[in-house]
Amino acid sequence: MVLHKFGEKLYSGLVGTMTLHLQEMAKTIEAAQGNLFLEELNRKWNDHNKALQMIRDILMYMDRTFIPSNRKTPVHELGLNLWRDNVIHSSKIQTRLLDTLLELIQKERTGEIINRGLMRNIIKMLMDLGSSVYQEDFEKHFLEVSADFYRAESQDFIECCDCGDYLKKAERRLNEEIERVSLYLDSKSETKITNVVEKEMIASHMLRLVHMDNSGLVNMLIDDKYEDLGRMYNLFRRVPNGLPTIRDVMTSHLRETGKQLVTDAEKLKDPVEFVQCLLNEKDKYDKIINLAFSNDKTFQNALNSSFEYFINLNPRSPEFISLFVDEKLRKGLKGVSEEDVETILDKVMMLFRYLQEKDVFEKYYKQHLAKRLLSGKTVSDDAERSLIVKLKTECGYQFTSKLEGMFTDMKTSQDTMQGFYAAYAAELGDSPTLVVQVLTTGSWPTQPSITCNLPAEMSALCEKFRSYYLGTHTGRRLSWQTNMGTADLKAIFGKGQKHELNVSTYQMCVLMLFNSADRLSYKEIEQATEIPSSDLRRCLQSLACVKGKNVLRKEPMSKDIGEEDAFFVNDKFASKFYKVKIGTVVAQKESEPEKQETRQRVEEDRKPQIEAAIVRIMKSRRVLDHNNIIAEVTKQLQSRFLANPGEIKKRIESLIERDFLERDSSDRRLYRYLA
Amino acid sequence: MLCLATGKAASKELERIDQLFFSYANNSSGLIDPEGIESFCSDLEVDHTDVRILMLAWKMQAEKQGYFTLDEWRRGLRALRADTIVKLKKALPDLDKEVRRPSTFEDFYTYAFQYCLTEEKQKSIDIESICVLLDLVLGSRFGPQVDYLVQYLKTQTDYKVINMDQWKGFYRFCTEISFPDLSNYDPDSAWPWILDNFVDWMRAKQG
Repeated sequence: MVLHKFGEKLYSGLVGTMTLHLQEMAKTIEAAQGNLFLEELNRKWNDHNKALQMIRDILMYMDRTFIPSNRKTPVHELGLNLWRDNVIHSSKIQTRLLDTLLELIQKERTGEIINRGLMRNIIKMLMDLGSSVYQEDFEKHFLEVSADFYRAESQDFIECCDCGDYLKKAERRLNEEIERVSLYLDSKSETKITNVVEKEMIASHMLRLVHMDNSGLVNMLIDDKYEDLGRMYNLFRRVPNGLPTIRDVMTSHLRETGKQLVTDAEKLKDPVEFVQCLLNEKDKYDKIINLAFSNDKTFQNALNSSFEYFINLNPRSPEFISLFVDEKLRKGLKGVSEEDVETILDKVMMLFRYLQEKDVFEKYYKQHLAKRLLSGKTVSDDAERSLIVKLKTECGYQFTSKLEGMFTDMKTSQDTMQGFYAAYAAELGDSPTLVVQVLTTGSWPTQPSITCNLPAEMSALCEKFRSYYLGTHTGRRLSWQTNMGTADLKAIFGKGQKHELNVSTYQMCVLMLFNSADRLSYKEIEQATEIPSSDLRRCLQSLACVKGKNVLRKEPMSKDIGEEDAFFVNDKFASKFYKVKIGTVVAQKESEPEKQETRQRVEEDRKPQIEAAIVRIMKSRRVLDHNNIIAEVTKQLQSRFLANPGEIKKRIESLIERDFLERDSSDRRLYRYLA
Repeated sequence: MLCLATGKAASKELERIDQLFFSYANNSSGLIDPEGIESFCSDLEVDHTDVRILMLAWKMQAEKQGYFTLDEWRRGLRALRADTIVKLKKALPDLDKEVRRPSTFEDFYTYAFQYCLTEEKQKSIDIESICVLLDLVLGSRFGPQVDYLVQYLKTQTDYKVINMDQWKGFYRFCTEISFPDLSNYDPDSAWPWILDNFVDWMRAKQG
């Protein structure tokens, strides 16, 4: 027919016939009752598809020649269009189809089982008819209905569920929708429907969820609810501003608890416990971020900045961290494996990094290290050195050079003592054993102190050592720090009890006096020993007033030492141990005046550092304005301490006075470097 | 002729200026010393602590407090066109005006500080003297500022002496800062630290 120029007739005949046929089909479909409606529609659609294929094969010639040259719709597409217009868009089918589909989905959402295969076929049909048919006739309505559904449902949930349960439900719904798409919807619908769920179930209730009483984010953090937290993280990540919301609440909670921790008067009584609490807190949040927040960098940063914030709220943090290390290195690490030691030290270093006043830490660390080394109390030389190396990598050579100097002194002193005894072995015979530690002035945190009078046998020995040492090291000066040493004494009491007493040098001086006297008054002791009175009082107190360690007896009996008191050897002294260690009454933590003194020393030490920084900066910049110089100095020094702007200003003024800098004559804010 | 005449007049003037100098100078040192200055002041009918004597010293660029050298004396009196006490008396009001001109005042103000540095390598002046000096040079122009500043300086304990930088800061403070409300004082700009403290003190006082 095409060959005989009847192409037009054939084509319009096809359209007419098919239209009529499809209208008939539509009527049958309309007539289908209830549940059979979709099945009927599906069957007719399959029939139509088969028919359409046959028609296309029969009319292939027309399809190839007449249609392209006359710009008509190809047969297959024509068949689909006619199906769409006559069946799907027929007034009685269009809404019924949509309602049926939505109703089935609603049923499935409420837990009923539906014929998913049939659903998939029908949806596939809509997709075959063109993406616009799928979107207009189904998807658009589907999303609207879903939004309504989830809005209502989330409202119900939030009224009656706690935060954790709510999140579980939201997660399940989200997964259901994703599954639905994969089972019978167009895969392009996935992001659209998940967006609806996210918006209705998460974004709209985000703040309420996070702050929910007794079950919100703060409670999850307190109770380490890793699963719930992880769920919250994964769900909130899907919505705008979700993660910042979690992060902000976490940060402010962390800051608040941290602040309470570092200002808790009870905690301040025990520095070791204080630092342990900080470490526990850090561990807790590290674990949360690791397990629940997928090690999110922004969360780690929030954690770090929170710690930095509250650790520095307490000016004693540097001291306490050093005390913590001290405790660990003195006894806490006994019997702990090398690896565990490293772990603990690494944790301490992490706290150290948060400190703004690193120089204060250094000061205390030096004091505590000195005590450890001199009393021989350090548990592990390796651990000590390992920590020094860590401090060095963190803060540079300058920071640790003096600490390392202390170790060198200890080693050198050992060698010196060996040399001394090798040289004098014969001469010394059975005189007491003297151990001297030669400390380099400047490396050690020693305070100048008055040398007390040593017992005759000791001072003779000390003189021998002095001449030996100065003989090998000319040009040096030795002074005895009798306030720092210790001694082991063998003592025999009234009924023949033998004990070895471990005492301080001062205590030894006092006790040795009783070798030649039965009764000594406070004044006599003071005169004989010349120990500074505050030290002497403490020393006598620990010898006469501590139960179980009272090798001396005092009249009158009382807790305090008076100028008029008299002292005797306590013949009735008894102890179940052979070795008795007599401590000195000293506070481990610094006392208030000591603290002030340390603080003052720190401030004094900072001055030259600030000035050096100013000069360095001005030397290279020549001219700089006030605000920039403050900013640059602060930046240069922040690895050691936080310089106070007022102090920087004072240092600038001091440099002006000493003609290192001048103020610009017209612009007061500008400083010039004077070479 | 005219040239010669003026030259002659000038040499006459110089002669009289020198005569006046030697009438006050100490014979052995060849300087006008504190004693000479005292009789000079009484002839001038001006107290020796009067700001006008400081102005004269500035005009002479006198180096050492309490002494005038011949060179300084000549420099000052020739500039003032005065070779007698009477002419000098008449020149004082003009000198006063000259000093108070803003372009010259800062120089005079700086000079006043340096003039008080009597010892070798001295760089700062004790609080007591600074208070007197402040009142002398700034008192008439910035009465309220000077009163409070002096009161503050005498009560504070951070500083025992004042250096040039702080001294200059005081003058700038008086000229630039609205007083007594201090509304345009910015502690973040480079005011000497002592002025930050002064402002804090003022604000605490004002409640």
